[in-house]
Amino acid sequence: MDQLLNRTKGDKVIWAIVALLAMASLLAVYSSTGSLAYRMNKSTESYLFKQVAFILIGVAVIYFAHRVNYTIYSRVALILFLIAIPLLIYTLFFGVRLNEGSRWIRLPIIRLTFQTSDLAKLALFMYLSRLLSKKQNVIKDFRKGFLPVILPIGIVCVLIAPANLSTALLIGATSMLLLFIGRVSVKHLFLVVVIGMIPLMLLILAAVYQHSSEDGSRTHAAAGSKLFARVGTWVNRMENFMYGGKNADDEDSYQINQAKIAISKGGVLGLGPGNSQTRDFLPHPYSDFIYAIIIEEYGLVGGAFILFVYLVFLFRSIRIFRKCPYAFGAFLSLGLSFTLVIQALANMAVNVNLFPVTGVTLPLVSMGGSSFLFTCLAIGIILSVARNVDQLEGSKLVTLKNEE
Amino acid sequence: MAIKLDSLEVKRDILWRVYLSFLIIIMISIIIIGKAAYIQQFEGAYWRSKSDSLHQKVVQLVAERGTIYSEDGSMLSTSIPYFDVYIDFGADGLREKNGKRFSDNVDSLSHHLAAFFKDQDKAAYKKQLQKGYKSRNRYYSLKKKLSFDQYKTVRNFPLIRQGRNKSGFIAEVKSTRLNPFGLLANRTIGLARTNAQNVGLERTYDDLLRGEDGRKLVRFIAGGVSVPIEGYEIEPENGRDIITTLDVNIQDIAENSLLKVMTENECEQGTCIVMEVATGKVKAIANLGRRADGTYWEDLNYAIRASEPGSTFKLASMLSVLEDKHVTIQDRVNLEGGKWKIGRRTVYDSEHHGKYDVTIKEAFAESSNVGMAKLVSTYYTKNPDGFIRHLRKLHFDKISDVGVVGETSPIIKTTASKTWSATTLPWMAFGYEVLVSPMQILMLYNAVANNGTMMKPYLVSSIQKNGITIKENEPIVVEEQICTKETLKQLRESLEGVMTEGTGKTLQNPFYTIAGKTGTALVANGKRGYADHIYQSSFAGYFPADHPKYSCIVVIKNKPNAKKFYGAAVAGPVFKEIADKLYALNIQNNTVLKRALNLKKDSTGFFYSGEVNDVKYVMNTLNVSYKDSSANDGWSSLYSSNFQPVVNTRMMEKKVVPNLTGMGLKDALYLLENMGLRVAVKGKGKVASQSLDTGSRFSKGDILIIQLN
Repeated sequence: MDQLLNRTKGDKVIWAIVALLAMASLLAVYSSTGSLAYRMNKSTESYLFKQVAFILIGVAVIYFAHRVNYTIYSRVALILFLIAIPLLIYTLFFGVRLNEGSRWIRLPIIRLTFQTSDLAKLALFMYLSRLLSKKQNVIKDFRKGFLPVILPIGIVCVLIAPANLSTALLIGATSMLLLFIGRVSVKHLFLVVVIGMIPLMLLILAAVYQHSSEDGSRTHAAAGSKLFARVGTWVNRMENFMYGGKNADDEDSYQINQAKIAISKGGVLGLGPGNSQTRDFLPHPYSDFIYAIIIEEYGLVGGAFILFVYLVFLFRSIRIFRKCPYAFGAFLSLGLSFTLVIQALANMAVNVNLFPVTGVTLPLVSMGGSSFLFTCLAIGIILSVARNVDQLEGSKLVTLKNEE
Repeated sequence: MAIKLDSLEVKRDILWRVYLSFLIIIMISIIIIGKAAYIQQFEGAYWRSKSDSLHQKVVQLVAERGTIYSEDGSMLSTSIPYFDVYIDFGADGLREKNGKRFSDNVDSLSHHLAAFFKDQDKAAYKKQLQKGYKSRNRYYSLKKKLSFDQYKTVRNFPLIRQGRNKSGFIAEVKSTRLNPFGLLANRTIGLARTNAQNVGLERTYDDLLRGEDGRKLVRFIAGGVSVPIEGYEIEPENGRDIITTLDVNIQDIAENSLLKVMTENECEQGTCIVMEVATGKVKAIANLGRRADGTYWEDLNYAIRASEPGSTFKLASMLSVLEDKHVTIQDRVNLEGGKWKIGRRTVYDSEHHGKYDVTIKEAFAESSNVGMAKLVSTYYTKNPDGFIRHLRKLHFDKISDVGVVGETSPIIKTTASKTWSATTLPWMAFGYEVLVSPMQILMLYNAVANNGTMMKPYLVSSIQKNGITIKENEPIVVEEQICTKETLKQLRESLEGVMTEGTGKTLQNPFYTIAGKTGTALVANGKRGYADHIYQSSFAGYFPADHPKYSCIVVIKNKPNAKKFYGAAVAGPVFKEIADKLYALNIQNNTVLKRALNLKKDSTGFFYSGEVNDVKYVMNTLNVSYKDSSANDGWSSLYSSNFQPVVNTRMMEKKVVPNLTGMGLKDALYLLENMGLRVAVKGKGKVASQSLDTGSRFSKGDILIIQLN
């Protein structure tokens, strides 16, 4: 045990943050899965134990990931990326349909469904870090710098979008931020934003059109193929967000109304652990809407604290970036931490109705699943960079010959 | 391969971008917290109240309607639950894994449904279920109005037994009013209907029976389950139970006797009341009306509707002239051969007798209208109020107030009445030009039987709440003494005379005496007047004449131009049968007398006992339809009610000797020896009599002799 602790390196603050968020997740998940357990005829504790198991596995993943010399991830990034693309294509056509969009594939032996976009996201950001670090010298050049970087982003987004538009948009936006940080020409980025806006504008127009015609046209899209089935959902969600849900029975506006009820009930100090009332009515209180439950139980104070924890995490990652002398490690730390925090903010923004309803989880806090483990892997990689930075600082004498 | 960020410029360029991004992130964070605070501060009240309206509901707690019992504890009208069963085809448990649970179970469920209800075959059920599943019907009605037994069975069917969450199975409990005895005293017990006016006791005592609904505030939690919020609950107060004075056995006898005679003579309507002399308790009240298809049903409470009473009213005339000491029953009166002209109208006696000079007692026994008209007009023409005063004292001008809604007001004319004429008084003497109800006539006969004390008739003996009596109705005396003892003696002698030498002769029997009066009255048929020759036959009296226990009145309105219409011929036999059977019931020990009296065996009077499932099995095997008022198991008796076999629960108390009548030897032995009695058996067949009385106490090892026949 002592040995294990001794071998646990990297940023202590980040380790503490992981422990803190895991604790929060246990509390929130245990409180909010009662209804689900009842529906599925399982014991109330079953989801708690499942989450404990996820946390244990997750910590193990972090541990092993951070023991790996981060430079290896450069090669891993390429391989992962090359695996992710065909998996995405496979998911798109043969994936498991949960909540309409096909986002999942089922792993054969362990019978775990996992969201390929989680894998793709991680692979993409690792790969981007590799590309950005390699292309720093020619980054301002359109053909040599920009195109090689934007292409993988485009591919991943296009493949994810049909099943999971929000994730695709989120990945796209985060990528833009990373490219901006990675000194890609603002002119080029602007071009991407303009091109990306076109489908978005179409969506908004469709929402406006649907709102003004306002009859049964809501369902027409559902009749089409699997891919087009999603379009109707997007339009509806956009319409709900823009005009506010008028239909009480509309699932999305129902969700957001319940989230608002939860936030209202929480007040400044909250109802106390396990006292949430809205959890029985919110459709996914343990994943997409866990932040609302946290505010309900722990108040605005608790909500702000969780948010603060993520910011600290981001700040520590920036510190790692600053200390890291090598471009790949620096970008890895930045890319992965920014994605994670942006995802957290996106989840919170949905919960407080700043964004339309999307299926984004709160990293490390929302109940289990593949995204939990991929988040842990990302943190492990960041810690791996931190461990190397610490080692460099600890002994300036050590020269990492293989770096050259 | 890794590239060092050694160029300070590059690193600085990156750094400001990072800090800018971090700043943006912080700003977004502030916006998020700000938005949350905004929701709390400015929209909070709205959302919190919305939460209450969405998740809380005031639920009505329906009070259980009270039960109406007979005096001996049989349920006459009670609420029983029934179940409507639905399936929520949208239930998560049912649809998960692509509807695996549904497809796994649909075959066996259809099979069980088809086998149990037998109304559709398996394929039809399966088709229905699949259709419901396909359309995602969240409230698919599977079966309605299931009894509790059926529901218990259905609940154990495949799929359904997996519970609401997995099967989507929803059961809703409702309650309906059941009269286990069907026709028996139906109109008097009444109907409790949701969409129409109640009648009978159900209506009179509606406030008590209904109870008070409660309310509770509930909050819905997971899976459509609600939990009550403490402090917001008002318990429902269940309805009170009404214990009537009715006796199921007497009611059954009365109803069946009346029905039998009415069916034979195709009478239009009839009523029959049995009253306990000492108390005024109504032990039975039957009201039958002929329906278009020739069957009879309790359609109106004829017992409390006023009409021209006819000859039974003559008792009042007798009382009047005797009480005022104008005559004694031994005085003589000239019947003029049955035809007497008074003013411009003529009084006829309804039966031709050709008699002239007779005693008043004989005149009453012959039911002579002439005699009564003569007596009353002789002594009261100058002073009609003297006669009317007596009628008032006999409460003929007031309703009986027996406690059932629908009683019509009686009419006793006075000299001040517009329609009062010279012939009113003589006609009143034999029961015309007055409107009184059978119940009121019975009150008079009951008073005569009760040594001159007139009792208020009543139907409700006590009111109970959860088995505890909260109100006990005592007998009420309405007239301490309707006449002097001397008059009373003469009246009773006259009534007995009717039976021994008058119109009631045919109704005599050698074992006990009946005192009573026949009545045959021509009744008007709306605008057609008396042209249709519709007669109202009646018989009022009491028995046994020496120690009266019950008084009884039978009033039957015949069909137009009926062959038989005399009181003694139509109403009399009903009265006789009731009297015979009641007398037999009350002298159980005297088997000789009982057999002599009895009660000729016919197919309508039978009585068998046995274990309930055995009895039902026999009935089902023989393909005889029957009315089922029995509990699930235990002992039961099978008897006839309203010409229909009824299987009813028979209470067997552990500590007293049970009633074994009609039981097979095997059952009787089993029952008795389990109770610790030693049994001696005589004869063959079913139990006819037993050496220890029903209801008497015994100690272990006592010998009980049962006689089979």
